[in-house]
Amino acid sequence: MTASAPVPPEPVEPPIGLLAELTHRCPLQCPYCSNPVELVRRGNELDTATWISVLDQAAELGVLQVHLSGGEPALREDLEEIVARAVAAGLYTNLVTSAVGVDADRLARLRDRGLHHVQISFQDVTEEGVTRIGRAPGALARKIALAEAAVRLGLPWTLNAVLHRHNLDRVERFLELALELGAHRIELANVQYYGWGFVNRAALMPTPAQLERFRTVLERAARELAGRLAIDYVIPDYYARYPKPCMNGWGRAVMVVAPDGRVLPCHAAHVIEGLEFPQVRAMPLREIWYRSAAFAAFRGTGWMREPCRSCPRREEDFGGCRCQAAMLLGDPTATDPACSLSPHHAAMRRLAEVESTGEPPAFVYRRFGTRATMRRRELAPLPAD
Amino acid sequence: MSLLAADDHVRLPSWVILRFDRVRGRHVLLAPERVLFPCPTTVTVLERLGAEGRRLADLADELAAEFDAPREEILADVIGVLEELARGCLLEIRRSGHDRVGTRAA
Repeated sequence: MTASAPVPPEPVEPPIGLLAELTHRCPLQCPYCSNPVELVRRGNELDTATWISVLDQAAELGVLQVHLSGGEPALREDLEEIVARAVAAGLYTNLVTSAVGVDADRLARLRDRGLHHVQISFQDVTEEGVTRIGRAPGALARKIALAEAAVRLGLPWTLNAVLHRHNLDRVERFLELALELGAHRIELANVQYYGWGFVNRAALMPTPAQLERFRTVLERAARELAGRLAIDYVIPDYYARYPKPCMNGWGRAVMVVAPDGRVLPCHAAHVIEGLEFPQVRAMPLREIWYRSAAFAAFRGTGWMREPCRSCPRREEDFGGCRCQAAMLLGDPTATDPACSLSPHHAAMRRLAEVESTGEPPAFVYRRFGTRATMRRRELAPLPAD
Repeated sequence: MSLLAADDHVRLPSWVILRFDRVRGRHVLLAPERVLFPCPTTVTVLERLGAEGRRLADLADELAAEFDAPREEILADVIGVLEELARGCLLEIRRSGHDRVGTRAA
């Protein structure tokens, strides 16, 4: 076979995870939210019966874990019912919450319905820092109370730390907090620049020096805390050498159901023009996974061009993120510029360095009705080197 | 350095679930934000830990007798397959003389 021979399509495996965005409503206004800038309003949300059908279909299809997310999923009054059904269907059930809207009593009710794990977002380690990002005064105390309740109830919980230039230097304190509060796991997730995060990129991007320091802390923590605290981390793509295996490959492991029932291979996939995302109200989940054009669009390696096509890493990172290629280059079939083999890689890094060292602009807070779309369009595409 | 020793009493916490997945026709191990596809040896070891857990030395004795294999090799294999889970905080480990090491009890 020559290098230019077409790659035979691989058989499609069943999905492993389902990200259920139950609602886009949220009591917090974090400027790095990965939800789309055009938020789904309450009137367009799926009803309980449809979510229950989605969960049953997902389990039938081979999904093993469901992540109940949002927005703030606790704003759904039917959360208890949804959790109970997910568990009954055999799904390992994770709740991803800000803790605003879930108190100890409600967590106990969710635990009684079989909830397996709760992930609590910590915007910062001080009340002032949390309020600066989330704009919900008193939220840190609620997060701490929920973490303590999880430990009392025997529920494992993850401290989800979203990191950026304003809090990255406090990473040690995030780790200490996770240990003090008995977390099973910490996610040290640098902001990913999608959705509202993309709009606020210049206000959030850490400097190269901050990131260097973060890596040092991380290496030490991984060594010293093995077996005591599970640590996962994400670095900003803009400073990466190779791209992340986004969603573990397009249409390969995960499906995302948006609050209005649209099903996407990635929660940011709205930015790719020309793709039509199927609706759970109109099409069975199985058909969406195996037959829809949107899920087939960038599945496997057949869609790739050079340098991805002949790259030995092509089945490790799957060409990186299609949404990022679309956002930064206007072409979803291009190599993710996060990859050092992309001709746009140096420009991407330069952009991050310039933004991170400049005076940070004011946040555009995540709210219904904010005119963030304009600012997003002002962000110019990357030049080639 | 290994996090596990022959004298440790080990079990899966209640929230780490080993089950057979009929869609894929194989066992899966489900944990917070993690899905693992354990090999048959790992499945055997995990199943024999049981709900109450086992002292690893006892488990090695049992498997050595059953498979007619050198006990020290079996013990090394058992610790080998459990090590990654221990590092990821997915085991409950009790050590004599200590309250508890590894992941907190659920």
